[in-house]
Amino acid sequence: MVDLTQYLPILLFLGVAVGLSALFVFLPMGVSRLTGAHNPDAEKLSEYECGFPAFEEPRDRFDVRFYLIAILFIVFDLEAAFLFPWAVSLDLTGWPGWITMMTFLVELLIGLAYVWKKGALDWE
Amino acid sequence: MIHTLAFYLFAVLVIASGAMVVLARNPVHSVLWLILAFFNAAGLMVLVGAEFIAMLLVIVYVGAVAVLFLFVVMMLNIDFAELRAGFIRNAPLGAVIALILLAELVLGVGAYRVGIIELGTPDGSAAPLLGESNIENIGALLYGRYLFLFEMAGIILLVAMIGAIVLTHRESRAHRAHQNIGKQVARRPDDATEMKRPEVGQGVEL
Repeated sequence: MVDLTQYLPILLFLGVAVGLSALFVFLPMGVSRLTGAHNPDAEKLSEYECGFPAFEEPRDRFDVRFYLIAILFIVFDLEAAFLFPWAVSLDLTGWPGWITMMTFLVELLIGLAYVWKKGALDWE
Repeated sequence: MIHTLAFYLFAVLVIASGAMVVLARNPVHSVLWLILAFFNAAGLMVLVGAEFIAMLLVIVYVGAVAVLFLFVVMMLNIDFAELRAGFIRNAPLGAVIALILLAELVLGVGAYRVGIIELGTPDGSAAPLLGESNIENIGALLYGRYLFLFEMAGIILLVAMIGAIVLTHRESRAHRAHQNIGKQVARRPDDATEMKRPEVGQGVEL
């Protein structure tokens, strides 16, 4: 069984975060509701004179390049995640483990060089 | 006591948000429910003592894969109302797949209970293999016994990277005009103009 008491600080942090974010959301709503006059009508809720009604749905198609960035992010994210167990177990794996990870890093470095050379990291 | 409570909290939330992934009308909401499911699965992993897996779930799945799902959902621009109309038609196929997955789960857990698969003891209290912590054990195995599989994973990641670029990267569409000052300064009137003396009634051939 896992000793759950060591997760108590995380729980406390979570509680503080939830409390603070709820405060930020609901305090202005409550204050404005209590202090301001609240009687909306159709004219008041319509777009202001220099705004304009939305022409299309907000969920629009967008550029495939975002997707490329996300995939590259996943690959290097995984690389970073693989570094954690390697770092803590280096005393058990020794030089073979070190060489393994360096080979892995070089493999991804080749990929990074390719990506860079192709200009996939440039937006324009 | 708190252990059991936390387990049931996480498990109920995983199942509920999994159901909401399927039932949500808006696919973007489905992805958000999926993120909640990932978080609670990470909580379950913490409860069984697999902190590294929990961390991977949060970093990789919530941080990267869910974002990718969001991109895909937003990029496809599918008419989901139309897609939903085929629900009844595709329901038998979905049920068959669900049954196959259930059978696999039952077979896997059954084989483990009988003792064919050596994973430790069912209550998770197996003695640590090599190191002190889970992460250390994972590292010792991954970079020791299974290092070739690990390198293969690296190659697969490389292939994924290059494949993504081959599929989605477009070369810059138009040749962009760069100003070459030296060329401009070195340009002489003789290079730019040409004197012609055409005969009367004749055109100029350029």
